[in-house]
Amino acid sequence: MVNENLVKDVVKEPYKYGFVTDIETEKIEKGLNEDIIKLISQKKEEPKFLLDFRLKAFKKWQKMKEPDWAALGYKKIDYQDIIYYSAPKQKEKISSLDEVDPKLLETFDKLGIPLTEQKKLTNVAVDAVFDSVSIATTFREELAEHGVIFCSISEAVKNHADLIEKYLGTVVPASDNYFAALNSAVFSDGSFVYIPKGVTCPMDLSSYFRINSGDSGQFERTLIIAEESSSVSYLEGCTAPMFDTNTLHAAVVELIALDDASIKYSTVQNWYAGDEEGIGGIFNFVTKRGKCLGKRSKISWSQVETGSAITWKYPSCLLLGEESIGEFYSVALTNNLQQADTGTKMIHIGPKTKSTIVSKGISAGKSKNSYRGLVKMGTKATGSRNYSQCDSMLIGDQASANTFPYIKSQQPNSEIEHEASTCRISEDQLFYLQSRGIEFEEAVSMMVSGFCRDVFNQLPMEFAAEADKLLALKLEGSVG
Amino acid sequence: MEIIEKIKTNKSDDNLTEIQKICLHKLQSSPLPNPKNELWRLSSKSKLSNFLDYSINEKDSKFDIPFPKDSQSTIRLIIGDKCQIKLIDKNYSIQQLSEDELQKYIKEQISFFKQNENWSDLLNLSLSCKNNILGLKINGSKIPPIEIFSHASSNSLKAKTLVIFLEKNCDIELLQVNLGKENSSLSQSTFFCLRENSSVNHGVVSYGENRSNLLNSLNVIQQKNSTYNLGSLHFKFNYARFEISIKQSAGNAKTNIKGMQITKKDEQISTYTKIEFNGPNGFLDQINKSLADNKSHAIFEGSIIVPKIAQRTDASQLSRNLLLSNLAQIDTKPQLEIIADDVKCKHGATISQLNEEELFYMRTRGITLTQASKLQLSSYFQEIISFIPISKDKWDLLDKLLNED
Repeated sequence: MVNENLVKDVVKEPYKYGFVTDIETEKIEKGLNEDIIKLISQKKEEPKFLLDFRLKAFKKWQKMKEPDWAALGYKKIDYQDIIYYSAPKQKEKISSLDEVDPKLLETFDKLGIPLTEQKKLTNVAVDAVFDSVSIATTFREELAEHGVIFCSISEAVKNHADLIEKYLGTVVPASDNYFAALNSAVFSDGSFVYIPKGVTCPMDLSSYFRINSGDSGQFERTLIIAEESSSVSYLEGCTAPMFDTNTLHAAVVELIALDDASIKYSTVQNWYAGDEEGIGGIFNFVTKRGKCLGKRSKISWSQVETGSAITWKYPSCLLLGEESIGEFYSVALTNNLQQADTGTKMIHIGPKTKSTIVSKGISAGKSKNSYRGLVKMGTKATGSRNYSQCDSMLIGDQASANTFPYIKSQQPNSEIEHEASTCRISEDQLFYLQSRGIEFEEAVSMMVSGFCRDVFNQLPMEFAAEADKLLALKLEGSVG
Repeated sequence: MEIIEKIKTNKSDDNLTEIQKICLHKLQSSPLPNPKNELWRLSSKSKLSNFLDYSINEKDSKFDIPFPKDSQSTIRLIIGDKCQIKLIDKNYSIQQLSEDELQKYIKEQISFFKQNENWSDLLNLSLSCKNNILGLKINGSKIPPIEIFSHASSNSLKAKTLVIFLEKNCDIELLQVNLGKENSSLSQSTFFCLRENSSVNHGVVSYGENRSNLLNSLNVIQQKNSTYNLGSLHFKFNYARFEISIKQSAGNAKTNIKGMQITKKDEQISTYTKIEFNGPNGFLDQINKSLADNKSHAIFEGSIIVPKIAQRTDASQLSRNLLLSNLAQIDTKPQLEIIADDVKCKHGATISQLNEEELFYMRTRGITLTQASKLQLSSYFQEIISFIPISKDKWDLLDKLLNED
């Protein structure tokens, strides 16, 4: 029997990634205007086409209105009060990791991200992004042997300008939405991946995003291109220090899969969520979209969202190629005063396309967790199928769980199935576990983990274990 | 759009009732619903403006009930008929609400209205003249089934309002029929108040003709231990909206809804439902079916709202849709908004076409494709039709649906 007296709304475990790295940084002045954008572009020594891209996006952004349709409430963002470029000072261009500021390496070590190449056992190549710049990318030579390009987007702009010019903004156009336009105008760094034809990427690729400075926003951009018959698994992790101000994070991720290519994109998002009073935390407004351009191509999104004060994120798939596949597996956990409005869009354009959506939302404390999804069958999507499942778990009587699926079909020869349910942690199950000598909180954590199993099974090994622990940690003390 | 002009200018007309004046005033600042609002986003603007294109004709043309002959045991009422209603039997009484009672209740309802959510009601109440508002207070037991008709005659726009108070421990079967003649617009608003322990089997059949339009809104308030069963069917309208708002004011009530909309040609029919649980132990079982053929468009949007107070709510919502043509489209959006934790809520949605395996099976048994499709459709329709009270035996609704173009 759940004892109501045990209900505690506060997560006691402190946010363990909340430290600040004391490092000299180069920042530009606050505010956003054409000169700032020119300055960012100049600092990054960008070609003209990119500056034009930024300026065009900025013009569009100025004409756009911040969206208000999401079930989110937050104080208005002052876009002129943000620093749009902040980078750790480095004396000269680094040629090897040994030259990276030890403080930075230490930071990433503390976060459990192996940047030193001795730690090869993990077999994951990492691109570490600190505030506005990428500071290191590991395993580059090994990857290069296979023809895989894995570097920061700034480097890609310099060394692979043709690919950037060809693909940047083709999946998420600058005018797509307010935050994508803002990102297109001011994006500072991010990762670039190119997998050539027929190559299966020999190791998992990973980006680690770290916000260090309290007054600068992070606007990274990721572009992954998988050529014909290639495949890659990409992991993304994020953390930030604890500040009592809100920091804006507006990222854009674009994935392109050509014929028979497959991209698996996994995220464990653990930005600082603010304290139990709702003070501080990251505002996370992210546009992630994949384009299954080729026949039989596949894009799979899996995400574990536990951080951020505000999450606004809808990783989507445009299924253009015949028999292409889109997948979305998500666990979103909110606690205290966190608010998450997340989900996916599966746009079936080509024939015989398939998509699967599995979304698990857990709301505890006074948080608000919404699933918002769109499944659309276009007129040419004959023989296409979609299956969606959205489950919500409510912990405590002050949290809210909402489900807003939009389903649209213009093709009779296609099938859409959607189901959603809401439940609480069953008292019978808890009682059973407790009667077997399992501690109350451990029992809850086991049940939450069981609830999320469908999604965790889709995560790469390292992430699945981490995600399990993360959820247990986040819920500690919040269940009664 | 003469009506919108009238609203904008809001001429002080002595013939207007106080309610009409209040509603006109509310509409004045924005006489049309916001097309960006989620409830109106998918609604065809041209069809809505076509709805408003007809002029209001206060005089009712003669209305012949087109359906089977009145049987002795059924009470038949027509909204707009001037006759005074007072049916008193030893077991029951059906009386007209006094003007004060009507005004008080409607005014109270208006105070909760929101511009976009209740635009159809605001329009209805600002157009509905005294004669077209029927208010009934129903009391007692062993009440014969009641049929209430609303209609719009050709080339006119009619607004009709129905208010029903169902007293404690009362149990009725009520069928509401909305008929749209060729080139007509009908605005029908119904307000239902179910007192404790009362129960209704409510049927709504809206049946249009060529180019007829309908805005049908239904507001239900359920008190404790009441049961509200709704079976609805909307078909043959160029443009129709069915807006249902049900509030279980203190929980502990049961709601069952089975609705269906059938669209053909270039019709657009939509159903919007909002079910609020304002107390614990509420129950909802809802199924909405759509069938879209030719170039038509069927829309369903349902929201279930479970606030903190509504613990132990058990709610389920299912949207089942058949899309039969390449040019037709279906939009469906079931929604859950939940704050209470001890609840069982679920929803589901499917869009597909007729089951090919079943069709194949029937054809191997010598049934033609047309017949096999009809058989499948009839089972699809039957679930809803059998839930509509009174109609099932004598109205041949199934035949109408299957055999009319």
